[in-house]
Amino acid sequence: MSEEQVLRIPAELERMDEVLDFVGSLVDAYGVTPQTRTQLRMAMEELYVNVAHYAYPAGDGWAEIRGSVDDGVATFKLIDAGTPFDPLAKPDPDVTLSGEEREIGGLGIYMVKSMVDEVEYAYEDGCNQLTIRKQL
Amino acid sequence: MQLTTEKNGTELTVHVSGEVNTQTAPELANLLNEELPGVQALMLDFAECDYVSSAGLRVLLNTYKQMSASGGFMNLDNVGESLLDVLQNTGLDVVFGVQ
Repeated sequence: MSEEQVLRIPAELERMDEVLDFVGSLVDAYGVTPQTRTQLRMAMEELYVNVAHYAYPAGDGWAEIRGSVDDGVATFKLIDAGTPFDPLAKPDPDVTLSGEEREIGGLGIYMVKSMVDEVEYAYEDGCNQLTIRKQL
Repeated sequence: MQLTTEKNGTELTVHVSGEVNTQTAPELANLLNEELPGVQALMLDFAECDYVSSAGLRVLLNTYKQMSASGGFMNLDNVGESLLDVLQNTGLDVVFGVQ
């Protein structure tokens, strides 16, 4: 198992490049396809944006990303100590509607579910913990 | 992300290069808002872009709605594997014209 790498930053939208670089660099060492790399980074973007926008309505807070690769499976965990919120609980949007009927929102989490192999939410030790796993 | 445009009468082509993400999507939205009035055919060229997150899809969907409401159409050209995947997963490949 690769040693777990950790990035801890203020949960701000402006820090997103660091988050995406962290995910990209970690899997680069494993010869991932551009598509897998993009899917992992994009999944993390969707999750991180939610945390940056909504986790700390009262002000500043932190976010931590833990990443590792074990037996060819990449695992990333996004942790925050903000308002308890399970983004996976939301019903999936209807992706069969016509363009005119489509809602503008609600696609992000749905995309995460389709881009990674597993996504889990837990609230533990006063923290939101979102975990994604994907075979490299 | 970098955007370059070509306008030919009522046809507009926007070449998108780099990544359309939460931070860059507003730039694309602004450019389209400025350039779209009077445009009947919009081509978005993704030859140099294979990363469009949900923030980017929102811009595309808004633009699609605007174009249809004004009787025009919108095409996504040179769509690569990752972007096609995203469009197929969200059912937007059948909404937008994709090539």
